[in-house]
Amino acid sequence: MNHTRRSRPVLAVLLLLSLVLITVDHRGRQNSPLRGLRLAGAAIFGPIENAAAAVVNPVGSTVDDFTNAPSQKRRADRLQRENQRLQEQLMSSRLDKARAGQLNRLLHSAGLGGFKIVAAEVISAGQGFEDTVTLDAGSGSGIHPDMTVMAADGLVGRVTRVGPSTATVMLATDAGSQVGARLEASKEIGVLQGTGRRGLSFGTTAPLSFQLLNANAPLWPGQRLVTLGSQGDRPYVPGVPIGTVERVVKTPGSLTRTAYIRPFAHFTSLDVVAVVVAPPKSDPHDAVLPPSPRPGG
Amino acid sequence: MMTSAGASSAGRNLTAALVIVAALVVQVAVADRLPLPGSVTPDLVLLTVVALALLNGELVGAIIGFCAGLAADIIPPADHEIGRYALVYCLIGYACGLVSAEMDRSSVAPFLAVAAGGLAGMVLYAGLGMMVGDPRATWANISRLVPLSVLYDVLASPFVVWAVLRVAHRFEGGRASRPGRNDLPPLKYRAMSREQV
Repeated sequence: MNHTRRSRPVLAVLLLLSLVLITVDHRGRQNSPLRGLRLAGAAIFGPIENAAAAVVNPVGSTVDDFTNAPSQKRRADRLQRENQRLQEQLMSSRLDKARAGQLNRLLHSAGLGGFKIVAAEVISAGQGFEDTVTLDAGSGSGIHPDMTVMAADGLVGRVTRVGPSTATVMLATDAGSQVGARLEASKEIGVLQGTGRRGLSFGTTAPLSFQLLNANAPLWPGQRLVTLGSQGDRPYVPGVPIGTVERVVKTPGSLTRTAYIRPFAHFTSLDVVAVVVAPPKSDPHDAVLPPSPRPGG
Repeated sequence: MMTSAGASSAGRNLTAALVIVAALVVQVAVADRLPLPGSVTPDLVLLTVVALALLNGELVGAIIGFCAGLAADIIPPADHEIGRYALVYCLIGYACGLVSAEMDRSSVAPFLAVAAGGLAGMVLYAGLGMMVGDPRATWANISRLVPLSVLYDVLASPFVVWAVLRVAHRFEGGRASRPGRNDLPPLKYRAMSREQV
């Protein structure tokens, strides 16, 4: 068929072109010559996504409220003191109110740690294997790459790319994410790694794995983690709560133990988050962690 | 006759571009945020490429696939090498275009095309990721994400294919001068319009 004969060279050219693009972009990394193309993508699609989010987000929040109900209930049963607050939040029919509440708690957390933040809303999420989200604030709001992103409850991730009105955040659950973390009330440090796709497909609530650098340090379920803070406070500022150790696995033949962490932030229903635009003047240590729950209380 | 054909092909390209942009935005703003079991989401862009390729043949399929893939590579929050989706969708658009002639004979063919496309797309994308050393593309990840994502693709495909056919048909139906054309099923109509070109 004439049609087929004509289309083969086109296919070959397009495939070759995409291979060249992949190679050039891969070799260039952060300074890739194609970053202009990405910026163009952010400039074109950013406003469209923003507009779409204005329609989608209210609906999405309602859906989230329903789908999260079982897991929130389970938590509430465990922590009776939190029960009241969660129930109220679930039953609040006014989404505006819920959002204002989130923002309030966010400001409270940020205030405790002395972080200077820019609040933003999640407008879209990544495809395929990547655990990334887009925020509706960009360089126009003073956001730069390698800034810490947190929700009211805890660490969310870090900014990787910034467009004029959007910012891309790599979530802490992404398989390519590594965060330095510290155990609460101790100096034991380690590396926190994501397990990919919000870790949900493992059927667990612990999408983060944590390895202590010191093999002999005590590590048990229930301990809590905060960020250690990076050199120059970029990409991670110190003192942001991360999550609770859910279980500890000892791999035979391995020097270190691996702990699986249940994060404080709800990675499946991220909505209002904060970008830390200025680090705290001094390390807040454990000040941002919520008061520790009394066992059986 | 030539001018009307030219106008209709420009219109068809515009329709295809709009459909792709809509699919991309719905994908990142809605589908990828759904907390579905297994945290896998249907690939609406791939489904759109498959549908458009089945409608338009392999040449258009490959070009549409490449453009859609390139857009999927640069739409925030994409965080991988530019060109990965472009290559994958281009191949899938071409392959689905090749079997477009089969569409009129069998009613299950579109579903097979979607399932095969979904499987091939995920595996190819992951394979490319492994080649460039993407830490996310590990066997553990792929083996647990691929079966579910193919299932979701097949489940979502009737809606996406229907929507794409609807848009394509509406546009071309509006342009058609002869009455009665609107009554034809879109696939038959495509076969007819191809014979005339």
